[in-house]
Amino acid sequence: MDPGIIGQSLARIEGPLKVTGTAAYTSDHTKERVAYAVPVGSTIANGRIAALNISKAREMPGIVEIYHRGNVGALYKPSPEAGAIDEARPPFADDVIRYYGQYVALVVAETFEDATAAASVVDVVYADVAAPNVELQLVADDEPAEVSRRGDPEAAYDASPIKIDRTYITPAETHNPIELHASLATYDDDGFTLYETTQAIVNHRNVVSEILNVPRENVRIVMKFLGSGFGGKLWPWSHGTLAAAAARNLGRPVKLVVTRKQMFQTVGHRARTQQRVRMSAQRNGSLTSLRHEAVNDAGMLDEYDENCGEATPHFYGTSNLLVTGGQTRRNIGSPTAMRGPGAVPGLFATESAYDELAIELGLDPVQLRLQNEPTRDQSLDVPFSSRHYAECLTVGAEKFGWSLRSPAIGSMRKDGSILGWGMSGCSWLAARFAAEARVELHADGSARVAIGTQDIGTGTYTVLAQLVAETTGIPIGRITVELGDTRLPPGPTSGGSMVTASVIPAVLEAARAAMKSAIGLATTLERQPFKGWSPEDLNFQSGKIVARNGASGKQIDYHEVLQNASVAMVSGGGKAASTFGEEHPKRSSHSYGAHFLEIAWQPEIARLRVNRVVTVIDAGRIVNPRAALNQIEGAVVMGVGMALLEEAHYDPRTGAPINSNLADYIVATNADTPRMDVTFLDYPDTKLNELGARGVGEIGLAGMASAIASAVYHATGVRVRTLPIDIEKLL
Amino acid sequence: MKIAVTVNGERYERDVEPRTLLAYFLREDLGLTGTHVGCDSSSCGCCVVAMDGDRAVKSCTMFAVQADGHEITTVEGLEQGGKLHPLQQAFWDQHGLQCGYCTPGMLMTSYVLLKHQPAPNEAEIREAIAGNLCRCTGYQNIVKAIQQASTELAAEPAAAAVGS
Ligand code: FES
Ligand code: FES
Repeated sequence: MDPGIIGQSLARIEGPLKVTGTAAYTSDHTKERVAYAVPVGSTIANGRIAALNISKAREMPGIVEIYHRGNVGALYKPSPEAGAIDEARPPFADDVIRYYGQYVALVVAETFEDATAAASVVDVVYADVAAPNVELQLVADDEPAEVSRRGDPEAAYDASPIKIDRTYITPAETHNPIELHASLATYDDDGFTLYETTQAIVNHRNVVSEILNVPRENVRIVMKFLGSGFGGKLWPWSHGTLAAAAARNLGRPVKLVVTRKQMFQTVGHRARTQQRVRMSAQRNGSLTSLRHEAVNDAGMLDEYDENCGEATPHFYGTSNLLVTGGQTRRNIGSPTAMRGPGAVPGLFATESAYDELAIELGLDPVQLRLQNEPTRDQSLDVPFSSRHYAECLTVGAEKFGWSLRSPAIGSMRKDGSILGWGMSGCSWLAARFAAEARVELHADGSARVAIGTQDIGTGTYTVLAQLVAETTGIPIGRITVELGDTRLPPGPTSGGSMVTASVIPAVLEAARAAMKSAIGLATTLERQPFKGWSPEDLNFQSGKIVARNGASGKQIDYHEVLQNASVAMVSGGGKAASTFGEEHPKRSSHSYGAHFLEIAWQPEIARLRVNRVVTVIDAGRIVNPRAALNQIEGAVVMGVGMALLEEAHYDPRTGAPINSNLADYIVATNADTPRMDVTFLDYPDTKLNELGARGVGEIGLAGMASAIASAVYHATGVRVRTLPIDIEKLL
Repeated sequence: MKIAVTVNGERYERDVEPRTLLAYFLREDLGLTGTHVGCDSSSCGCCVVAMDGDRAVKSCTMFAVQADGHEITTVEGLEQGGKLHPLQQAFWDQHGLQCGYCTPGMLMTSYVLLKHQPAPNEAEIREAIAGNLCRCTGYQNIVKAIQQASTELAAEPAAAAVGS
């Protein structure tokens, strides 16, 4: 292996396409004779459709067809084995309305404008309309499931001198990637080709083929560029099914772009959570028990477990622990994973509680964490593969200047503002999905890596090129990356921050197999330096085949070998199994980090902002530091939004998400951006893969809201346990 | 309605419906899909194009017919003679993009900014892109990219002019 490319801050290889407007996102694709589809959503959240009057819409110009339950044709519920989907009921499956915006009809027309105009005059008559259940107070419908238990947390709590018992709430949040969800569906003799805004092409194919009841081989999913997803584009949603059904029925391509408003209704959101945290400690700060009991809301038909206790069992060192999770049904569209699902809302609760416990104890929160740092995963009773959380804490404290903090509330002031200093830890899982890859070495000196994964904006194109460059020594500029097509070897889902870790073993193996093939070829060529050599005596280095002992001084460029042998390419395949969700893992693999931050509070003008953030992340080896830094900075800013701004409100009368646009649902803008200082510790986790890389997409968001809430408490004396921390809560 | 619009230096005469938005005209009629659409409330800015070289407009809030007789520059028109515009180069160099969906709007907004204010300070840059949302980057690198381009353009002023 030629070291050097891994760990370099290369600019993204797809950058030129993105800055020239030539990167083709899903809705940029088009086809001959394409028709445009616009779904009609229900304007109630609880009731049923009594009648659908479409005669007026039918008279509108440009109408191709209007689909509804009576004419959409067969659509099936996918089996659990097919893969993941959060709303398994196919669109139009019955006349019951269970959430606001649920699709009731699909207008297909010659132009987008025609379809939009006709959709607005489809008249839906409702019956049995009842008040929607969008109750904010969450009590589990059934007995909550026990996720993790050790020791006797109840007895330890009762016997401890210091206890806290608090409830924390995180609201429904919407992902709001800037790219709208979209589908372009085509259907012909070969089956379906579906251009989809998806973070998981392979899962998409497997699930959608069952919905459409065609063999997997007859469904091809294409997704070359995604305008981000944050989890909202992980699993198939009903608009894609409708576009495919319309294309099938009409025998012509159909394009459907979901509106921003519909994106608040039908493509998932982060579940609302209500979490009770009980912690107890000895007076010296030793954590004697932790109970973390969470409930989240779910849609009426499908289970959805937010898994708030995702990080709790391994993150906290205590002998007595309980984690439970429950669900309660609401008249809302199904929730789905959103950046750092489970851990992000979960850590807001547990890390906030930890801060409250530190205050009860009169201990510094960093000290409390260091003091209770576990040496092995107490829930699984296995060692950590690589845990450097304590160093995240000490390095972060040092960089931030934490030792200068005066703990008394409101005691730190600057330029007329009250400053609050807060900190929080964070953690996120590290694992691999199954992956296959193919690497080709071409006679023109180029290489190609092909893998059916996707780049959702995180830099996967570049990482894949770096892996091949590192292994083969072929310059990065001569490497083509092909992804985003289910015709390629099946690759990992872009979720769980697991793509980089997952592709490493498969791509390295594929590259090595291709190199081996080139070496084999070199030993068969007449009048060439290595004719008759044993392949074991040869090496592939910097794109050349050389003698292993180096003694002979002979070498030949691999592409010359290929040219002389008159072959266009040699290739190799690689395949690695999943480690995700293993029942009895031998190690506990996670990433860790700590945020230290300063907020400024100006009570006179009710202004609250985050001034600066110091973040330290332990995520194994970093393949591309600039790209990784960018992930963390983006997540930190999203964390400012989560803490201070983001919340989807459901109208209690209609069940409609009322702030369903980017003017009323406020995400952090550049004006909210704090100064950021991000450090990566460099401890390769080679138990996970040979390079020791984990993932960085999600962890930066975890712990941000609790750090901000703690800083706000430090400045104001108000502990906000219900996000977001809007100004009204401080006045 | 018949309109004549010059887009990236090329004149197009087209028959459009009065209700057609400029963004859709560019994307669907002219096939210039570099201009993106991310909302319908004029909130995200990923549809921004330059009008007559010196006005940043949200093409989702303008009808195509309102562009009649005007000159529009889209992200596809920034590259000159196969060479990236300094802004494009800077967004690439500085990791001013991740998913890249906001990038065309960011580029066109900053393109117009630099025409009016060739050497903006950080606050002015942040003010100028206040109407452009990016959900990925945290903005830091976008600001750095605009700074890099401004420095470069100061060194070679000719590059600033496009399509005129
Ligand atoms: S598309 Fe969002 S502002 Fe134009
Ligand atoms: S780079 Fe994804 S929205 Fe800006």
